[in-house]
Amino acid sequence: MADSVAEIQKAKKLYFFIGMLLFFFTVVTVLVATVEALDFGEHGFDEVDAVIGLLIAAFKASLVMIIFMHLNHEKPLIYFFYGLALLMAFFCMWLIGWSKSDPIQFGSPTKVDGFYNPANPATDVPD
Amino acid sequence: MEIPFVVNARKDTGLNNSKVGIWLFLASEVTLFGGLFSGYLFLRLYADYPWPERALPILPGLINTFILIGSSVTVVFAWAALKMREWRKFQVYMSITIACALGFMVLKAIEYNAKFSHHAVRISDSGPVEGYGILEGHKKKVILEENDHLHVVHKENGKYPEEAFDANRILFKASEMTFTLTRPVHDAFVIEILKQAANRDSKITLIEDYAVKDEDQIGKDGAEKTKILKAGDELTTDALDKAEDVFLTSRAHDSAIRTNFEKASWAWIRDEKGIDQPGYNIIDLEVWKERRKEDNDKLTPLMIGAGSGITFKVEPALTLILEPSWMTSNGRNADQLKLRDDTVIKGKMLESPLILGVDAIDFSFTAMRAKEQGLDPNAVIEKSWIVQEPQLKTIWENHQEWLKGETIRLARKDREPSDIDRYRVTWQKIVAYAQVKEADPDADLAKMAEEKTLALPGWFDGFAGADHYNPEMAKHFPEVSIPREKVDFESTFTPKWSTYYAIYFTITGLHGLHVIGGIVVLGYYLFFGRKMYNSNPEWLANRVEVGGLFWHFVDLVWIFLFPILYLM
Repeated sequence: MADSVAEIQKAKKLYFFIGMLLFFFTVVTVLVATVEALDFGEHGFDEVDAVIGLLIAAFKASLVMIIFMHLNHEKPLIYFFYGLALLMAFFCMWLIGWSKSDPIQFGSPTKVDGFYNPANPATDVPD
Repeated sequence: MEIPFVVNARKDTGLNNSKVGIWLFLASEVTLFGGLFSGYLFLRLYADYPWPERALPILPGLINTFILIGSSVTVVFAWAALKMREWRKFQVYMSITIACALGFMVLKAIEYNAKFSHHAVRISDSGPVEGYGILEGHKKKVILEENDHLHVVHKENGKYPEEAFDANRILFKASEMTFTLTRPVHDAFVIEILKQAANRDSKITLIEDYAVKDEDQIGKDGAEKTKILKAGDELTTDALDKAEDVFLTSRAHDSAIRTNFEKASWAWIRDEKGIDQPGYNIIDLEVWKERRKEDNDKLTPLMIGAGSGITFKVEPALTLILEPSWMTSNGRNADQLKLRDDTVIKGKMLESPLILGVDAIDFSFTAMRAKEQGLDPNAVIEKSWIVQEPQLKTIWENHQEWLKGETIRLARKDREPSDIDRYRVTWQKIVAYAQVKEADPDADLAKMAEEKTLALPGWFDGFAGADHYNPEMAKHFPEVSIPREKVDFESTFTPKWSTYYAIYFTITGLHGLHVIGGIVVLGYYLFFGRKMYNSNPEWLANRVEVGGLFWHFVDLVWIFLFPILYLM
């Protein structure tokens, strides 16, 4: 971490640059979500957009953690605290994602009989 | 007392104590928000309704992201200023940080306010699928006319007329009401009913005397009863309280006597009759039934036996304006209302439409249910009440026209419209369709969609959603009268409406509390830090660094919240 006046002056430039980078990537996230030419994957929101959005967010968060929160200069004890907490948070999310593939609850294969078939829709709808 | 290691590092950890403390705290915060994000993931993955994608206005969220990023830069600049012993610069940067935090909360308040004043109604369509169309908009204000019809009113000089009320009330012509004394009568209901009776010159009076035996008259032949309330007495909360007290005393007295008789009978059947069996066998025995009959004959004169309800008549019949939440949905009938405190009001249900300035139509749920049943969503939607209503029908037809062109345009790029494009008509589209048709009734929306020339309102036209206070915009939102029987459920955009809004308010609310916490902590350094700066500037720099770490964490959470809630 910067301690001398010269180092702090230098660090301020870095902080400013990181701030600009964060602004820039925020704009990129919004453009990817709203501009059709930058809409990857299917039209509208889909998994590809989610992955892009979350990757950009993760990158921005890393910049905040590493530069603004000085994690690039921290002691091992801090990495241990924070790393353990992050691991715990990711584990919770992974567990929920994993449960979605639970074969006991959802069965296998996926039920398709009777589902709407756009090629052959049932237009004779009962009252 | 001198606090150790506030400036210098401990040898074992290599850190000062406040640094260790804040990182432990931040680690706990990571698990807290990690749990909430997991909750979000769970609700989204397992939602049994189409998840509202990109449902929030982007602009307030985007500005708030800029604000938080900017404040993250200024808070670290404030720390740097202290390290360089520049008190003045520290003040400037910290002031900007706090101003940003306050700005964030103001925008959040605007966004929340828009949610609290925006309504959604599920339309009950007992059609072929167990689904519902949704109408969104603003509830109108109305007044009750002499003929019991509702008349929509608008603000005059910035105010609604005093007698105006939300157009979602139940109207009921009351001629009689019975209050149940077995549970407490809800005073707020009575007070409101009395207020409405006074406003419309109706009198609510007791039909029959409410009288009970005095305790010293019990068991005597021809015992006279004391009148607690007399026929003709007017309804008041005090009168009801009085009757309630008497009833409760009577019930306690009667229960004690009944219990004593029952105990004696159990003892008699066991000791005198020599029957010692479980109760469920005994109650079927003839000997027990006979004994109980004898008991009842003896009991009746010993009991006070106060009535458990008192009935009032309403003259002339009064049109009550009641909040739907006062009664359960099955407590509403053509000739009777049952309030939540078991009060029964007899009379006649009047037409009680919900009048909404509609700014969005959503058939996503209907479409989802239709697809699950192998039906063509459009064929199902065609049968909905929504598309029978003339004004909404026009909007839906315009939308279908637009969709036709949009489908062709996207097909050229080997794409197709999403379900949101197909089944949700947003406020922007309602306004755009109306503006185009107003300018030229023969305008070809399909062609405009195909050529992408349809101009939708921009972000600033509806900062936090459809602007019903702007007459130029509001005129395009049709005033629709929804028959009460078609209203399946109505709510503002609060946790009551869906799990999406439940998790939205939980996470953003908790994040907002963190912002307020940050304002307090950083504000303390700004306004009360001078003394410490003079005596031990490095200590203050360390404190600001610790406060700054918290502030960066607040920014960090928002960096994920913004795309997840606003863009996905």
